[in-house]
Amino acid sequence: MKVSYYPGCTLKDKTTNLDDSTKAAAEALDIDMVELPEWTCCGATHPLTEEKIINLVPQIRILSNVRTEGNDSVTTTCAFCYNTLKRANKAVIDDPIKRQRMNAFLKDDKRIPEYDKETVYDFKEYNGETKVVHFLEILRDTIGFETLSNRVTKKLEGLKVAPYYGCQLLRPPEEVDLDDPENPSILEDFLRSLGCEVVNFPFKSECCGSYLSLSAPDAATRASHTILRSALKNGAEAVTLSCPLCYYNMDKRQDNILKLYADFSTVPVFFFTQLLALALGVDESVMGWNKHHIDPTPLLKEKGFLS
Amino acid sequence: MRAVISTRQVRSEFVARVQDLSGQDLLGCYQCGKCSAGCPMTEEMDIIPSQVIRLSQLGQEEDVLNCKTIWLCATCYQCGTRCPKGIDFSKIAEALRYLGMGKEKEVCGPNHIPTEIIAEAPQQALVSTFRKQGL
Amino acid sequence: MPQKKIGVFVCHCGINIASVVQIEELVKRLQESSGVYYATDYKYMCSEPGQASIRDAIKEKELDGIVVACCSPSLHELTFRRTSSSVDLNPYLCEIANIREHCSWVHSDSTLATEKAQEIIETIVEKVRLDEALDPIKVPVNKRAMVIGGGISGIQSALDIADSGYPVILVEREAAIGGHMAELSDTFLTLEKSSELLSAKQREVSVHSNIQLLTYSEVEDLDGYVGNFKATIKKKAKMVDWDKCDGCGKCIAVCPVKVPFDQEHPLGKENAIYLPLLEAGPKRVVIDKGICQHFSGECSECQTACPKSAIHFDEQDETLEEEIGAVVVATGYSMYPKDRIGEYGVDGCEDVIDGLQFERMLAAWERGEGPLRRPSDGKTPRDVVFVQCSGSRDPEHAMPYCSRICCMYTVKEAMVYRKAVPDGQAYVFYIDIRTGGKGCEEFTQGGIADNRLIYMRGKVSKLYREGDKVVVWGVDTLMGKKVEIAADLVVLATATVPSPGAKELAQRLKVSADDYGFFQEVHPKLRPVESPTAGIFLSGAARAPMDIPESIMHASGAASKVLALFSQDDISHEPIVAFVDEDYCSGCGVCVETCPYGARELQGRKRVAKVIEVLCQGCGACIAACPNGACQQRNFQAEQCLYMLDAAL
Repeated sequence: MKVSYYPGCTLKDKTTNLDDSTKAAAEALDIDMVELPEWTCCGATHPLTEEKIINLVPQIRILSNVRTEGNDSVTTTCAFCYNTLKRANKAVIDDPIKRQRMNAFLKDDKRIPEYDKETVYDFKEYNGETKVVHFLEILRDTIGFETLSNRVTKKLEGLKVAPYYGCQLLRPPEEVDLDDPENPSILEDFLRSLGCEVVNFPFKSECCGSYLSLSAPDAATRASHTILRSALKNGAEAVTLSCPLCYYNMDKRQDNILKLYADFSTVPVFFFTQLLALALGVDESVMGWNKHHIDPTPLLKEKGFLS
Repeated sequence: MRAVISTRQVRSEFVARVQDLSGQDLLGCYQCGKCSAGCPMTEEMDIIPSQVIRLSQLGQEEDVLNCKTIWLCATCYQCGTRCPKGIDFSKIAEALRYLGMGKEKEVCGPNHIPTEIIAEAPQQALVSTFRKQGL
Repeated sequence: MPQKKIGVFVCHCGINIASVVQIEELVKRLQESSGVYYATDYKYMCSEPGQASIRDAIKEKELDGIVVACCSPSLHELTFRRTSSSVDLNPYLCEIANIREHCSWVHSDSTLATEKAQEIIETIVEKVRLDEALDPIKVPVNKRAMVIGGGISGIQSALDIADSGYPVILVEREAAIGGHMAELSDTFLTLEKSSELLSAKQREVSVHSNIQLLTYSEVEDLDGYVGNFKATIKKKAKMVDWDKCDGCGKCIAVCPVKVPFDQEHPLGKENAIYLPLLEAGPKRVVIDKGICQHFSGECSECQTACPKSAIHFDEQDETLEEEIGAVVVATGYSMYPKDRIGEYGVDGCEDVIDGLQFERMLAAWERGEGPLRRPSDGKTPRDVVFVQCSGSRDPEHAMPYCSRICCMYTVKEAMVYRKAVPDGQAYVFYIDIRTGGKGCEEFTQGGIADNRLIYMRGKVSKLYREGDKVVVWGVDTLMGKKVEIAADLVVLATATVPSPGAKELAQRLKVSADDYGFFQEVHPKLRPVESPTAGIFLSGAARAPMDIPESIMHASGAASKVLALFSQDDISHEPIVAFVDEDYCSGCGVCVETCPYGARELQGRKRVAKVIEVLCQGCGACIAACPNGACQQRNFQAEQCLYMLDAAL
């Protein structure tokens, strides 16, 4: 399949391991995934007031550019980007006034000549044609978890992983529509196809504190602790997720958790694409293990997945 | 702890603004409190989300714009997902933050965050924080 | 045809019509109108002097037809038709011209409104000009009723009809009558044992000479019309010879099929072969073919175990045809499946149950079957949380309506629980306490105070398992805090929904059900126990959630409607029906397909389409569908309608 790839800001800086492992896994799975030649920030968070519709412009520009590249769908692994792109797209499809205003803005878009000299920018009205798919959806709906399971070269057998969804992947369900918001299964099925043992726990879709990490860090520490403690209590050896911000709160924040909750024991946190790349036998350089705050390599070595 | 209620409050410009900005019908809320029951941030809040809606229904502008709760919403959408009446509290909170910012209430702008945190925090956290809480 | 003498009577309706329409001018114009023989007006035509003036005019002027220009025909058409027939003018030669709802109420310009009123009246005058004198169609009544559903509502309806001397067939799809009431523990308001209250009724039914009880049977089809229905009933094979079976239970002990506790089933059904709960009858077992492993595999354990050789796997279903004159639908209710409330169903936790399951647990305790035990590990629950409005009042995800019975049964369950576990604590999450019935509020407040019940105002958002506890995330909006409780057992007052299969039954009976599957009444205020199909009546929770006393009232209401029907030897049917001009009919059968009432059929060697007049509701669908213009409607004939159009335009 042919699909555009939108990595998003954080993947180009703080979590290059998510970017690298996504691209390596896509290549190993023969997904024809090409990064958009030029892209901006997606706005990070969906604008929730009716008046802030200018905050939809970047998303719609990105989606419109996917079409310019000749693709009809775009994929991303960051849960925030997925949420904002998908919701902005739905807003344009559902609301004719927003659609009109977006097109009025984008009509006057100019490409900056020093970046792109040749392309004649010919704006075509955008009416929500681009499909936004999370990378997990490609695995589930295009490749299929059964096929994926057959293509895995290194079964991660015996690795007990708690799947963590957080908020942006699942909610609001009528806009995001990836899975059942109360009892999702896509990450579980994914983990099983890699051979992992799935650890069920009741906090898989509770919020980790999100961006309150900056304005109310203690709240984020408490929220992340609740989630990790529950995962550990249910027997998890590792947690997997798809959001760089959840990753920051769950991985980096374990220092703060230890300060506040003495009985806490640390647990490694993986991007789902790292586990995927590992199971597909992709070269380890893409994993960026050194970027993790809680070093996952001892666990992987103990399980025999790393030498 | 006393509120005088008259048409001046319940049909105020403030109530109309909150409804227009959020796109939510405030009186559609029957105060079951399910939003508060499922909110992951209640521990840090001074009043619960359903009280924010109640104060807004009754036009208690002063109280609601001065509460901590609206700035502690992490927009995780759990409230709206489970609301039996299809009302999205996160949108009401955003409308109130917007009105608060109009009154120059800044909770977390670039100057509030230590440099070392700015250096390590993911970009999306910075952008989101400034959009939701800065000026 | 000689010109009819048509009289027009214009009503002022006080000032309702007269304040907008210029009555004097209108009557003057009507008197000059060509089709009108006589015109007059009066302040209130529907009053006795008004009606007298119509009677006098009909007699004096020898009128052949009249038009009363007044309010909507739904209000007074019948009144004025009776007025006409009292002076021997055929009632179908009396028509209403609606100049109130269609004119004076919706217009303010007096001149234009007067013109419009004139046109409306002249249109109806054209109709009367070609109206035929018609006689109501008479149909004999078969004075035998069928009650569908053997819960408390069906039982009550059946008893009321039978006690009045008419035969009743009571059809119940389970193997025993009693319905959900047989599963309940103590009932509010008296805390009497439900099964004891019920068993008296069950016994009455089983010995009543006018009641033919058909258990383990389902209504497959219903044909015919009021007074003359024909029902097809499937009698499901019990697989057990009840003459031989003595209910010893040896078969149940060996049955390998276990029915899970949380499945909806009548009390007593724990295996594929089971003893239906029949307080008042002999103990006899039946086999549920749907789950029995003899039919899905090769098991014959019960047959081997039976000392009386009473089990016959080859017994076949039987089909009966019964003729009846009236039907009472009493199919009852069911519970909204709790696993559809995702946030309450974390990991399919066994200790999260619904109100009906808790009733079964409490009833078992009352019967002396040991201490109250929770499903997962048999521990006695010390902290029980009740969650009201689980799936009710939730237009976004489940049912938008209030289930009406939960407030009462929850407080009652909490009270009985405290009797069963004296040191236990019950917590109830509620949004509003709705206890409007007689004695209900007193019962509730007394129950809360006497049993130290903690009521918390707020809805629960999430349940999850932690260790051997179920953690409840709720809220107390009065305290203004989120609430967390570690409970041993959580009881969800799940929404009351129609009985499974209610929608399909409604289709088979040709009556309407609402969006949820509750049977629809003719009018929610004025005609709550009648279905829109004449002769089919509604009893109990089949129509809407209701408690036992209300169901019984409703059941008696439905029975009294049946009795009113049976008090007549024959019934009249509106003669405004379709008819066929056989010379034009090509026998294409389009009308037969179009008719929603089954009132059309192709008959005879010529295969021309006939109208079964008693079934025809005069809807006109066949007339519009007929490609040859062979179908016409009495008093709405094509020619008549064209003249009316001319007058209107």
